[in-house]
Amino acid sequence: MSDVAEMARPDHVAAEKVVDFDFYNDLSVDDPHELIANLAKENPVFWTPRNGGHWVLAGHPEIFEAVRNTEVFSSHRMSIPPTPYEQQQIPINIDPPMHAIYREPLSRAFSPKAMMALQDDIRNLAIELIEKVRPNGRSDFALDVAEPLPVTIFMRLMGLPLDQLGLYRQWVNQLLISSDPVRKTEAAQQVNEAMSAIVRDRMEKRENDLISVLLDTSIDGREVTFEEMQGFCLLLFIAGLDTVMNGMCYGVRHLAQHPELQAQLRADPSRITDMMEETLRRYTFTMPPRVINKDHEAFGVRFRKDDMVLLMLPGADLDGREFADPKNFSLDRENKVHIAFNSGPHRCVGSHLARIEMRIVYEEVLKRLPEFRLDPERPPVLHGANVIGFDSLPIVW
Amino acid sequence: MKVVIDRASCVGHARCQAVAPDLYELDDLGYIDSDGFDVPAGMEDEALKGAKACPERIIRTIGHPSGKDWPLSKG
Repeated sequence: MSDVAEMARPDHVAAEKVVDFDFYNDLSVDDPHELIANLAKENPVFWTPRNGGHWVLAGHPEIFEAVRNTEVFSSHRMSIPPTPYEQQQIPINIDPPMHAIYREPLSRAFSPKAMMALQDDIRNLAIELIEKVRPNGRSDFALDVAEPLPVTIFMRLMGLPLDQLGLYRQWVNQLLISSDPVRKTEAAQQVNEAMSAIVRDRMEKRENDLISVLLDTSIDGREVTFEEMQGFCLLLFIAGLDTVMNGMCYGVRHLAQHPELQAQLRADPSRITDMMEETLRRYTFTMPPRVINKDHEAFGVRFRKDDMVLLMLPGADLDGREFADPKNFSLDRENKVHIAFNSGPHRCVGSHLARIEMRIVYEEVLKRLPEFRLDPERPPVLHGANVIGFDSLPIVW
Repeated sequence: MKVVIDRASCVGHARCQAVAPDLYELDDLGYIDSDGFDVPAGMEDEALKGAKACPERIIRTIGHPSGKDWPLSKG
C-alpha cells in the first residue's frame, strides 16, 4: 500500500478496506469496465484516500440496499472531491420525503407517453445525422451522431438556444470530467448564469418548453421559487448533456467490435431492444455519489457521518453474485435486469427518453450503414469521472 | 395465479410494462397503476416475466404453475 493511502486513512476505516483508487484518472483507459469488474470482485466495499477520501460501493446487494436507505445514504451533497460551495441540483440533491414533490413535474414531463410523442423528431434527426456521414465511409461516431442527437433533442425540449450547443458541452465537460473543485465550481456558475437568463426571459414570456412548464408548476401548493428553478435547470443541464451520448457510444463500440452481432440484428431487428438492455448492463457508466447522514454499520464497515460514498453502478451490473458470467455479453441472458439507471427514488427520470433515443439510433445505424468496425488507426478514447464516457469513437465501413 | 405489487415503492422504471404490456398498466406518469391482479389463464409466464423485470423487486407472484414464484424464496 502506498504512503499516501496509509497517511490519509481515518481511524474508523480498517486498513484492509483501503484501495488506492482515483475514479477520475484510473478509469481513463481503453477498457474501464474490465478494471471495474476486477476491482469490484475483490472489493465490493472499499475506501480510497483519493479525491478527499471516500467509500466505494461496488457490489449489487450493497448498492441495492444503500439506494433505498436514504436516511443514511443521503443525496444532499454529492460532490467528490467536496467543493467549497455545492450548487443544489433539484431534485437529485433532495432526500425523501420532499424529493417526491420536486420530482413530480419531471416525472410528468419525461413520462413514457410524453417521450413517445418525440419519436418521429428523434428518428428524423438520427436519419439526418447518419446519412450525412454515410458517404464518407468513416465517422467519429461520438462527435457526429452520439453527441448532437440527444443534446439537440434535449435542448429543444428545455428551450435552450441551439447555437450554444458547443459552449454548453464545454461547460458540461469542465463540470464533470475535471476533478478540480475550482474548475467545477466555475463551470457550475457559468451554467447557472446562462440558465438564469433564460429563466428570466420565460418569466416575461412563456414558450412551449420545459422551463416554461416548470415555471407554472406548483411545489407543495405554492409557486416555484427562482432558486428552485436554478436548481432544476442545473440538474437538467448536466443530466441531459452528458449521458445518452455515452450510452449510445458503448452500444456502437460493441457493435463495431462484433460484426456477427451486427449481422444478427440486421436479420432480426426485433432483438435490438435486447441488445440495448444488455449493453446498458454490460457497460453501465454512471457512478452517483452519496453522503453519510449519520454513523452507520453495514457491509462489514463503519460509515461515519459526512463520509462521501461513490455508488459504482457498473460494479453492481458486473457482479457475479447477481449475474452469471457477468462479463459475457449475451442477448439471451435470462436475467438482464440492470440498474444502469440506478434504483430507488432517484431512478433516472430521463430513462424513457434515453431508451427511445438509443433504440432509434441503433435501428438507423444498422439499417443505413453497412457492416462497420473500429478504425484500426484511431482507437476509441474514454475518460473516467462520475460519468465514464467517450472523447471519441472512430468507426469505418 | 396472483400478482401482488408494492405500489408505493414503484419508482417508474416501466420494465414490467415493457416485457408484459398486456398485464402491467402504467399511469400517466409512468408508475404502476395497480396493487396487483388475478392472472388470466394462459398468461402465467408473461406475468412472471413482468415480475422478474422489476429492478426494485416490488412485484411478487403467487401460484405460478411451475411452482417457482418470484422472488425466489431463500433456503
